[in-house]
Amino acid sequence: MTLAMKIIARWYSIPLLLVIWQISVDSGMVQSRLLPSPSQVWFVLVEEVTSGRLVYHTAVTVSRALVGFALAALIGIPFAAAMARSALWRNLFEPIFFLGYPVPKIALFPVFTYIFGIGTPSKIAFTFLECLYPIVVTCFLGFRGIQTRLVWTAQNFGANRAVILRRVVLPAALPDIFAGLRIALPVAIIVVVITEMIGDSIGLGYYITIWSTRFSFANVYAAIFVIGICGFLLDQILLLVRRRAVYWQREAS
Amino acid sequence: MRNKSTLLLNLAVPVAALVAWEVFGRLDMLPRYLSVPTLIVAGLWEFAVSGELWPALAASLYRVTLGFAIGTAAGIVAGLGAGLLPGVRNFFDPLVSFLFSIPKIAFLPVFLLLFGLGHASKIGIIAFSVFFPVFIASRHAVLSINPILIWAAQNMGTPPRTIFFRVTIPAAAPQLFAGIRIGLAHAFVVLFAAELIGSKAGLANLISYGEEWVRFDLMFAGIVCFAALGFVSDRILMAVRRRVLKGQLLGTEEQVT
Repeated sequence: MTLAMKIIARWYSIPLLLVIWQISVDSGMVQSRLLPSPSQVWFVLVEEVTSGRLVYHTAVTVSRALVGFALAALIGIPFAAAMARSALWRNLFEPIFFLGYPVPKIALFPVFTYIFGIGTPSKIAFTFLECLYPIVVTCFLGFRGIQTRLVWTAQNFGANRAVILRRVVLPAALPDIFAGLRIALPVAIIVVVITEMIGDSIGLGYYITIWSTRFSFANVYAAIFVIGICGFLLDQILLLVRRRAVYWQREAS
Repeated sequence: MRNKSTLLLNLAVPVAALVAWEVFGRLDMLPRYLSVPTLIVAGLWEFAVSGELWPALAASLYRVTLGFAIGTAAGIVAGLGAGLLPGVRNFFDPLVSFLFSIPKIAFLPVFLLLFGLGHASKIGIIAFSVFFPVFIASRHAVLSINPILIWAAQNMGTPPRTIFFRVTIPAAAPQLFAGIRIGLAHAFVVLFAAELIGSKAGLANLISYGEEWVRFDLMFAGIVCFAALGFVSDRILMAVRRRVLKGQLLGTEEQVT
């Protein structure tokens, strides 16, 4: 099989569906109002991006997601380390994180809007909460899973606690830390979009809601497309950082 | 085994938080929208007695169960197919890798328009978002089965049908459950958002009614119900998992039991 054939065999489905979609809209089989054709969506996408509207809403959504995510990482990772290190902390907080993990925290969002208002702070606070759980749970298991003989060896060589933490514990837990971050990153985007759909006046979630009430679904699909691109790019960036930081271990695909 | 002092420490933070909430709330030192725990329990009772709780609970439960079941079934079938047959895999892989990074809730307006404000749109969007984690888990599960297991079965002259049911499925089951569990979590998030944005019945509506009537105890009662529903579902799934995977979990670290 030639290379071109291989590429076609692997990637044919997206172009195929796009073509079917385009043809079925052009031939009037489905209402183009509900399902605008790919070319219409593309046209709107280019227009909205060049006018800067979509860029603005995207910037709002992504920055909210990133701030919440970064806060959760900054607080969650040291917290997980403390939980793994001290029995007192573990006993105090383990049930909160492990029993609270499967509880759908989204139900608390109305309370968050009361405490933090309807705008950016409540979105960031809620994103923080939703990201904190996967980060703490995954990192905690990572810190706990460190082989004790690594630590013993370092102690044997006379390393003090700070050195052990920085040179042994942190690198050993790093793959799990990145696993937790990689779970939390899409969660951050999902949560920001959902909360923006529930109530806000800026952001991609708002953009989707407002254009769907105006029955302009080309804009909705354009925004969905942009969210997909953002999620993909952010994940790729995280993987890039991971490759630089955890250079001794390849990620499982 | 946990001894008494560990259990005491385990309970310390939640109990302290509840007591502080109750005391400061009663002393009017907390904003009114936070209510107090005893009033929330009373609100829960009020909901149960007045009968408002049951239709809402039934509506939410119906939507999440059906949506989750459809999404899981579709995800497993497509995922196992993709794992076993390269043709199916090549069809789904590009689509899933593109759609996966999109929060499925973004499609809610489309589903609302297609299926209306009733049950169908919620069931549809829940099934749609459950499909992806389940599909990915079952696809990876099949592909990561140790080929020696398959070869051994083939070597003993096992027919393909038996290999599928007796080797492939059991070997893929642990990863399958991991995907289903993620799917279940997604189902509740989507359920809540979908009910809040476009619906007339369901637990999320109960919560927003509580807000509208400025009855924050009722709002929290709804939140407690919703959280409990999600928590209990996860526990049931884990219990099923323990039954199904009996013996397979030996020697592995049971992470979040």
